[in-house]
Amino acid sequence: MIPVSFEYAKPSTVDDAVRALTDGGDDAKVLAGGQSLIPMLRLRMAVPTLLVDLGGLGELRGVRDDGDALVVGAMTRHADLLRDPLVRDHAPLLAQATETVADRQVRHLGTIGGSLSHADPAGDLPSVAIALDVSFEVVGPGGWRTIPAADFFVDFLTTSLGDGELLAALRVPKQDGWGTHYEKFSRVAQAWAIVGVAAAVRRENGMIAGARVALTNMGSRPVRARAVEEALVGASATVDAVSSAAGRAAEGADPPTDVWASAAYRSHLATVLTRRAVAAAGGIHAS
Amino acid sequence: MRLDHSFTVPVDVDEAWRVLLDVPRVAPCMPGAALTEFDGEAFTGTVKVKVGPIVLTYTGKGRFVERDDAAHRVVIEASGRDTRAAGTASATVTAVLVPDGDRTRVEVATDLVVTGRPAQFGRGMLADVGGRLVGQFADCLASEIAAPVPDAPQPVVPDSLPDPAEPSEPAPAEATSTPSADGIETTPAAIQPAATAVSPAAVLRPVEPEREVEPIDLLKLSAGTRTARYAGLVGLAAVAAVATWFVIRALRG
Amino acid sequence: MTTVQERPAGEVGAARKRKEDARLITGRTMWTENITLPGMLHLAILRSPMAHARVTRVDTSAALREPGVVTAFSGRDVADTQGSLPCAWPVTEDMVHPDHPPLAVDEVRHAGEAVAVVVARDRASAVDALASIEVDYEPLPVVLDMEEALAEDARLVHADKGTNKAYTWVFDSGEAGTGQAVDAAFAGAEVVIKRRYIQQRLIPAFMEPRSVVVDPTGDQHTIWSATQIPHILRVMVALVTGMPEHKVRVVAPDVGGGFGGKLQVTAEELIAFMAAQRVGKPVKYTETRSDSLLSAHHGRDQIQDLELAARRDGTVLGLRVNLLANMGAYLGIVTPGVPLLGAFMYNAIYKFPAYRFVCTGVYTNTTTTDAYRGAGRPEATYAIERLMDELAAELDLDPVEIRRRNWIGHDEFPFDTVAGLTYDSGNYEAATDKALALFGYEELRAEQASRRASGDPVQLGIGVSTYTEMCGLAPSRVLGALRYAAGGWETASVRVLPTGKVEVVTGTSPHGQGHETAWSQIVADRLGVPFEDIEVLHGDTRTSHKGLDTYGSRSLAVGGIALVNACTKVIDKARPVAAHLLECDVSDLEFADGAFRVRGAPSDAAGKTIADCAFAVFAAHDMPDGVEPSVDADATYDPGNFSFPHGTHLCATEVDTETGRVTIRSYVAVDDVGRVINPLIVEGQVHGGVAQGIAQALFEEAVYDSEGNLLTGTFIDYTVPSAVDLPDIVSDRNETPAPDHPLGAKGVGEAGTIASTPAVINAIVDALRPYGVRDIRMPATPERVWQALQGGARS
Repeated sequence: MIPVSFEYAKPSTVDDAVRALTDGGDDAKVLAGGQSLIPMLRLRMAVPTLLVDLGGLGELRGVRDDGDALVVGAMTRHADLLRDPLVRDHAPLLAQATETVADRQVRHLGTIGGSLSHADPAGDLPSVAIALDVSFEVVGPGGWRTIPAADFFVDFLTTSLGDGELLAALRVPKQDGWGTHYEKFSRVAQAWAIVGVAAAVRRENGMIAGARVALTNMGSRPVRARAVEEALVGASATVDAVSSAAGRAAEGADPPTDVWASAAYRSHLATVLTRRAVAAAGGIHAS
Repeated sequence: MRLDHSFTVPVDVDEAWRVLLDVPRVAPCMPGAALTEFDGEAFTGTVKVKVGPIVLTYTGKGRFVERDDAAHRVVIEASGRDTRAAGTASATVTAVLVPDGDRTRVEVATDLVVTGRPAQFGRGMLADVGGRLVGQFADCLASEIAAPVPDAPQPVVPDSLPDPAEPSEPAPAEATSTPSADGIETTPAAIQPAATAVSPAAVLRPVEPEREVEPIDLLKLSAGTRTARYAGLVGLAAVAAVATWFVIRALRG
Repeated sequence: MTTVQERPAGEVGAARKRKEDARLITGRTMWTENITLPGMLHLAILRSPMAHARVTRVDTSAALREPGVVTAFSGRDVADTQGSLPCAWPVTEDMVHPDHPPLAVDEVRHAGEAVAVVVARDRASAVDALASIEVDYEPLPVVLDMEEALAEDARLVHADKGTNKAYTWVFDSGEAGTGQAVDAAFAGAEVVIKRRYIQQRLIPAFMEPRSVVVDPTGDQHTIWSATQIPHILRVMVALVTGMPEHKVRVVAPDVGGGFGGKLQVTAEELIAFMAAQRVGKPVKYTETRSDSLLSAHHGRDQIQDLELAARRDGTVLGLRVNLLANMGAYLGIVTPGVPLLGAFMYNAIYKFPAYRFVCTGVYTNTTTTDAYRGAGRPEATYAIERLMDELAAELDLDPVEIRRRNWIGHDEFPFDTVAGLTYDSGNYEAATDKALALFGYEELRAEQASRRASGDPVQLGIGVSTYTEMCGLAPSRVLGALRYAAGGWETASVRVLPTGKVEVVTGTSPHGQGHETAWSQIVADRLGVPFEDIEVLHGDTRTSHKGLDTYGSRSLAVGGIALVNACTKVIDKARPVAAHLLECDVSDLEFADGAFRVRGAPSDAAGKTIADCAFAVFAAHDMPDGVEPSVDADATYDPGNFSFPHGTHLCATEVDTETGRVTIRSYVAVDDVGRVINPLIVEGQVHGGVAQGIAQALFEEAVYDSEGNLLTGTFIDYTVPSAVDLPDIVSDRNETPAPDHPLGAKGVGEAGTIASTPAVINAIVDALRPYGVRDIRMPATPERVWQALQGGARS
């Protein structure tokens, strides 16, 4: 279908983008990669009066090393991100999860910032962001601020970005010393996850010294599986310990029932996939 | 789809019934809705729902099917259609107050039917969001009923300048800041002088303060509960619309 | 003389790359949506969001004031003139046949039904203006479930008809004299397998959405449409609108797939026709994908209650089929007949002697169903192939063995079946043996046993599916006996141009099948003309004046014979011309290797080609008296029988018992489709068909909510698998030529779809039988498999 007509702006600086977005008011929308927004426009479920295309902001593209973290520009496309050597070396979980996003065509147009700002709890990257404690660098009419991942996702398609604010970059802590894995379960290859699990595990002396686990599509926003993490940390790195901890994956989650799956099945899947994700992340297998 | 909610308030049934029908106190529980016309029997109004990039605007009408003061029971039917032909929403809401010693149980049953694109393109999440909306309404209602009842109407102070082109519903000043269940507040807009424009709708009813109606925004609703999906938005709209008509009708009654 | 039974050397059988593919794949061709005519306007359709409602008011006046809008109208505005969409297959005399207005007038009966239209100068304006049309709906009760629809006090889809039952159609082998009475067979049974299977509703999901352009400005009204059936559409437009048939021209330009989904005379085509007449200018309508999923006809949607009677030695004695077939809200062009196409296939490749089939068509507030790849035959094959596995399990026999004990031996053809058909040929033993060898059946069984023994969370299952199908639709006398309104013949014309190039006109209407290539190969061999020198024309009633179009694996099996016969006529017409040129007697001539030569002359002797003859009749300076100066010929062919391709498909699935995920590990298809004209095309048809059958087994389902909203209204939720989701397919063939077919070809368009669905489900159930699982409802989503493992779906 054809979208309702709208104004279009393609600013060349971040300041201009913020200004355009602020001036555009409530019905202005950011176009980052367009892979979720444009289908909604075409279905006429979204009817913005202004689209602010960030495609001209080269400064928001790319990955750089910033000591103990990587800084990833919000307009970095999925296809570029998953090939980036810094990301592969220091945040392989992000690369692995990005590789599962939709299909090749989408990955060549979609951006990490667009994907995160869309805040679809069925998206793969929000759960990775909260698992890795990514910081969101945000710029708006009031200047720059940093939002921790845990505070960024508020609800279904809803973030804590304020009026006129846009996501500029992500500060991804390096995962050196951690093993990571993203386990995705979907109906068909290019579909959203029915459930996904992002896991990062750090081992020391046969014990699990650190664990971060986050779930995709198990609530109205990405869910950190705290009960699993607590059960894992300090446990011995064994299959039994992982299985036992993973059994608590659905605690505190409130998964949806939809045309793809029931809440009960999602809760079950979460435990199986968490076990697999944690085992893969920690290299913990039956001997 | 049937949605059931009930809650208990620490007042007796007559008091609860009186508060329930005290529109100035109950109306703010309904974000996003605006009354455009009321002729004493039928109502028309609009509801704007906005979640992320998704916007739906329903125009609708409703009527009182039943109001039974003795049984403390009201039934409202309402229906609306999206202004961009995305679909329709309709609901029958039945609210009953049941005495429970010196307390009162409020039972709200909603039959909700949503059609068209929001239902079609949703991921089957209608029940979750519809339930959440009714729950939101119920929570708000509960807190209103439980609160002390003022003896006289508050001073008439609208919280924003009404747009002459968009008539809006009456609302009292005290409604400008409404705690929701989890403490997130709707933000009152700047206080403005009393109504400076007369809309066609306004002449149909007593002159009352007017309030610019904000779209329902998930950010301002309780977070961390069930996931809202596209389809749910319509449920939200329908329930909000129904509830709006409910309180307005109650005011007239 | 050409001898039609002999396999010609040369083009036929060669793996020619398809000559149409360059333009189809690059899109540099004329799709209907690409057509732009001077002054052309654009149509947008407002569709009902309600599944069932009284339309109490439609006000298009505000839409008329929107920018760019030329006209807007609703069903009420055209109620007296719009006519009713046709159903060409009233399967019983007393079939309940409601009106089917292109634009709803007083009532809508399914979500997506067209209610009003806007015609505007550009598409965006037309779509924008839809929002200004005001429609008041008064909701009516919705009935979606077939059994509820048939209940005593059911809500009615068509209140004036007093019932939701469209018809009941019965076939009984005892009554028909094609076999024994089924009750007697059951009385003698030692084992009875009783099952209910659900054929879920599917959506054809053709690649190119439907599109139509109507130009009313010429002497003929021209309709371009993305249709499978331009010829049938022309007749139907004339009958529905009253426009004289000779004033209607229909063109199906390149069409991007159909799978039966474009075997329809659509509301959109007639609405565009009305709109164009109203404004006197060309009008175009192209549906969106979501409109297409919602309103283009769906397929399948049947409930099958089945009883199979057998002896303990595995001999099947009889079968009872009680079918409920969901018509949707209205009847499409062949809606009632689709399940009947399956009626003749429930006995499949087996010899059992007693059979009773009862089918009841049911109206519901859903999109109309109609033909979808295989149309009735996949449903039938699924049922019997699932039952054969269940019988094997009951008797503790290998599923291949149970089939061996019941199938028709290769030496028993022609075989008169219990359903009243005569199978012309086949060799089920050979196809099965080849498939088993390619599959590594014994090795996989051994692996299955070891996984079971070790309690592996990933279990292995093996699924067998042996199938046959009736192709080559259809002998006209059979269609007449089944009360179908048209015949089943096909036509072809061969025109030899003065320079020796050849134009072939076919009455079939390819929409991806590769007729241009296959037909060129056939003609090249018959006439001795280079493959590249042949142009195949189709789909335009101005050039291809007659035909019955493409569906039901009929094009080669019927149209191919018409083509061969036309070629024979060309040779016959050229013979006296050649004799004249060679100054010999007609009886001294023979035609071989593309030239007429005097009998007995060496093959390198100078002869006269068809091209020589074509040029001679073009000049026609000295034709002998009585010789028509033309070598062009037409032929129309009505088949005497169906053709019966068959095959054996084997599927190995790995089932993750923790998540319910099914992964197809290997898939082997051995098909016998008779003589193969082009193995690449056959391979492509098998692959695509298997993919579509796997899609039914594992992925696709159209889902309505309780209000009649289609929840699977985009490709997000209607999960069509892509290449990543599908296995490598090992495909091989046997060739048992069709004895009644000069080319020996049988048809291949639906084979893969028919065979693969039961192969996959049989494999899943086979994997899970130790867990007590006897059935998985399709599509076998991970959740359904998991639920079955929890005991939820054990029956």
